[in-house]
Amino acid sequence: MAKLISVRELKIDIPKEAQILAERMLSDLEKSKRPVLEAVKTSLDNSFYNPKVGYLTPGDKRVRTELNVSSVQKLARVVFMLEILLRNLDIGAVNTKRELYYICKGLIKNDAKLRPLDFEDQVESDTIVDFIGDMLQVYREELNCFANDRGGQTYSQQLVVTETMADGEKATIDLSTLGTAPFQPKNKPQSLRLKARKKIDFCLVIESEGTANTLQSMGFTKRNNCILMGAQGVPSNAVRGWCKLIEEELAPPMYFFGDLDAYTLQNIFRTLKAGSAASLIRNSHFSAPEVRFLGVLPEDVKKYDLPFYKVRESDPAEARALKKAKDALENDPFFLDKKNKGLSDILRWLMKEKIRCEQQSLFSVDPKDPIKMEKIILEKIRNGSYV
Amino acid sequence: MSKITKSSTAEYFAKNLQQVGFSSPLKAVLTTLKEAVDNSMDACEQAEILPEIEVQIQRVGQGSSKNTDLIKISVEDNGPGLEVDDLAKVFGEYLASSKFGKGQCSRGQQGIGISAATTWAQLTNAKGAFVISKTASMRKAVSGQVDVDIKTNSGVLKNKQTLDWDDKKHGVRVEFAIDGRVQLNGDGGLITYLEGTVLVNPHLTLKYKLLDNDWVTIERVSNDVPDIPVATLPHPHTFKLGEFITHSTLYGKITLDKFLKTGFSRVSDQSLKDFVAKGLPKALLSKPLTALRPEDFKKVFQIVQDTDLMAPSTKSVLTVGEDALSKSIQRLGETDFFSVVTRKPAICDFKPVVVEVALARFKHRNLEADEPVQLLRFANRVPLQFDKSGCAITWAIESVNWKSYGLSQPKGSLPLGPYIFAISLVSPFIKFKNASKETIDASEELVEEIRRALMQAGQKLSRHIKKESKEADLERKLAHIEQFGPILVESLVRITDSSDARKKRAEEGLRKLLGRDSKDAMEDLEQAAIKLAAQKTREAKRRGHDPDDDTASSESEEENDIIEVTEVMKENKKAARTTKKAADKAGKKSASSPAAKKIATTNAAKKKAGTKKK
Repeated sequence: MAKLISVRELKIDIPKEAQILAERMLSDLEKSKRPVLEAVKTSLDNSFYNPKVGYLTPGDKRVRTELNVSSVQKLARVVFMLEILLRNLDIGAVNTKRELYYICKGLIKNDAKLRPLDFEDQVESDTIVDFIGDMLQVYREELNCFANDRGGQTYSQQLVVTETMADGEKATIDLSTLGTAPFQPKNKPQSLRLKARKKIDFCLVIESEGTANTLQSMGFTKRNNCILMGAQGVPSNAVRGWCKLIEEELAPPMYFFGDLDAYTLQNIFRTLKAGSAASLIRNSHFSAPEVRFLGVLPEDVKKYDLPFYKVRESDPAEARALKKAKDALENDPFFLDKKNKGLSDILRWLMKEKIRCEQQSLFSVDPKDPIKMEKIILEKIRNGSYV
Repeated sequence: MSKITKSSTAEYFAKNLQQVGFSSPLKAVLTTLKEAVDNSMDACEQAEILPEIEVQIQRVGQGSSKNTDLIKISVEDNGPGLEVDDLAKVFGEYLASSKFGKGQCSRGQQGIGISAATTWAQLTNAKGAFVISKTASMRKAVSGQVDVDIKTNSGVLKNKQTLDWDDKKHGVRVEFAIDGRVQLNGDGGLITYLEGTVLVNPHLTLKYKLLDNDWVTIERVSNDVPDIPVATLPHPHTFKLGEFITHSTLYGKITLDKFLKTGFSRVSDQSLKDFVAKGLPKALLSKPLTALRPEDFKKVFQIVQDTDLMAPSTKSVLTVGEDALSKSIQRLGETDFFSVVTRKPAICDFKPVVVEVALARFKHRNLEADEPVQLLRFANRVPLQFDKSGCAITWAIESVNWKSYGLSQPKGSLPLGPYIFAISLVSPFIKFKNASKETIDASEELVEEIRRALMQAGQKLSRHIKKESKEADLERKLAHIEQFGPILVESLVRITDSSDARKKRAEEGLRKLLGRDSKDAMEDLEQAAIKLAAQKTREAKRRGHDPDDDTASSESEEENDIIEVTEVMKENKKAARTTKKAADKAGKKSASSPAAKKIATTNAAKKKAGTKKK
């Protein structure tokens, strides 16, 4: 079987590191000493942002899980899952997080002794997989565990992708020949090279996949030398890695267009541009620091007379987003950096006005003009109306 | 212009029975029962008789209105009985009351309720109330049917007969046959009402039979008839101008100064001087009331309102008492634990008020952990069963942060859990939101007073909950050791491809480590039990009990619980020592056995303690 494509050149030997870790734990137990597992602390208070680097990087803080009656369940689960991942690495098998969840369920079902380990839902097993990654400081993908493909549907009349397969064979995908179908990056490492048949003027990432599809149906990529992509909400690793690749290989101006609300700014745009606190060790490969926030901007609401809504503070999700926005302004190094003042000003404005405006509101500016949204987007790019 | 006619009070209520609790067939049954029981209880207490009340609810046929049954409600008491001349007045005349505006903490106040029940019976079944009465001085009992003459608002006694009434010395039996429907459980249920009545009346013996169910007898747990405090005069600051003028008409020709001093509480000679200092013309004080003009009354009223007066006396309120409440709560079922608080009488909105709270978790009631607590509200020892959302008691409960006492609570709502929260408010001047007395009006001061009582009770309750959570914590930790230890070791051995000898050493090491942790958990539990015991001792002392002698109440149950916990811990420690020795000696058994043993020992010790108690 051909060797899997890797995200990066890995300097550690995962099975060997895991062996050393298990050996140390066993030896501690023999001496009645409490074994300790350590991992990078993946939270905002251990995140650093340097605009020259462009993404969130981890600090020195570590989380220590020492064996005691409260943590024995987590440690047993970690070692149990580690065994499965090591076996996968050994035999060259890959699994999605969901498959791992069901593999665990299957093993547990068939062995009464393992029953206490049972996961109530997939979130529980995902957390263990992520912890193992953070502990060994390796990407989940390097443990042969991949998430489902989500988002990144891309349209262009100029973009040509050359993919080198695991067995060395090459495939060329000319996006202009795909008809109505988009190209979608995988949520697993791919070896891709990009070429443009004509100079690409810009790359536009739309928060809503549906809206990206609508723009495409109306002929957006026919009229513009561009790359058009749907993010499908919070960008997956695939979307983040794909944007980074476009940025590195073609260096077009990159724009993001989404809702004007706290959730979009913090959870979607910040993650695309600078990564997230949860993925601190992966941000270097999964962020596109050059991407700009094209809108919806507060001034657009007035300029285009866009319909907007009051944030319903009684709605727990919206109240949570507002609270998170407040936290972000106080603690998120990304929003605290003066280079991103324009973005933090938007957050402050949102908190003050307590309103939200959807990206789809542009459709109501002139309902009789099917390409009004495109016109506004182009006008904004032309006028430098972005942050 | 159409002719203006005048209606009698009875006519008004006959047309507006929904205002006094007869708004649906379900409520009609409950209200009728409630009014009859209230009257019986009040009568017994006035005559200083320990009440014995018998209640029977039967479905005797189909109701005359759609979707109703004909329900017979019988209530019999051992009270002083009513004289023949009073029967028609009591059961057939509105606003004929011995308690109206008296300033006493009686259940009934205006004299509307029982006449309304008679009216409902008359309207739906064409027959009023059937009554039997016997006083101690009567040789034979008298029976008859009382109807309300709606045109004249007077009662009419029909079919009067004398009869031998078993060996009964005195008492009243009243029967109503009405259109209605019966709901036994839930907020508006008859059982909820009867249990509530039992809870706040420890001196009551109640016997009841509901529909086809068996007779249930609940014996009294207190032989003290509540000492009904003497009536208190109203405080002038609780009045409105109109009331003030009406009140004055009761005093005839006396002078204003005498009226103020004798018609109200807390108006002294010094107060009169203060009124003058505030601008009341001295000459007005010596004028007879009949000579005062409406503008004079207004001026007097305004000055009185504007002058600081002593807060009213709190002597006019009565309490059930923590001791009696603790005993009474056991009559509703076996409790896991409970806490009771009786606040000192306080003044809220210039009215004396006392708040009592009982929070309890019962062993065998079908209360769900994720449902709101069952709330029992009482005003002057009468259960309030409808419209809880607007009630001062509900507001007070929702304003407390129950999470800090170990209960879960959605924001701004009642806490959740299998608990009963009983809150009793006693005051000679309770302000209800409606004539059917279902909701207490929520003033800020009153809500705050109830809130304080709840917080005190919550603090006591939290000791029980903490102890329980420590027990659960210990059990969980013991179970964790048993469950996860072997899996961890076996996985590590497989990954490192290690020998059996290493596996055994690791298992022993693991046992030692986790044993230390469970020891800590046991110590935590011990601390929680000690704190709870200290609280119980403090409470017993405060109530003048020797905790060791307090065998009848739940206090003894609690003490036993503490002994039980201590025994369990001793057993646990012993088990841990034994296990350690065994492990040191043999090192052969699996890692799971010691924990299993511990749990088994814990359970055995609990059972043992339980048997001892029995």
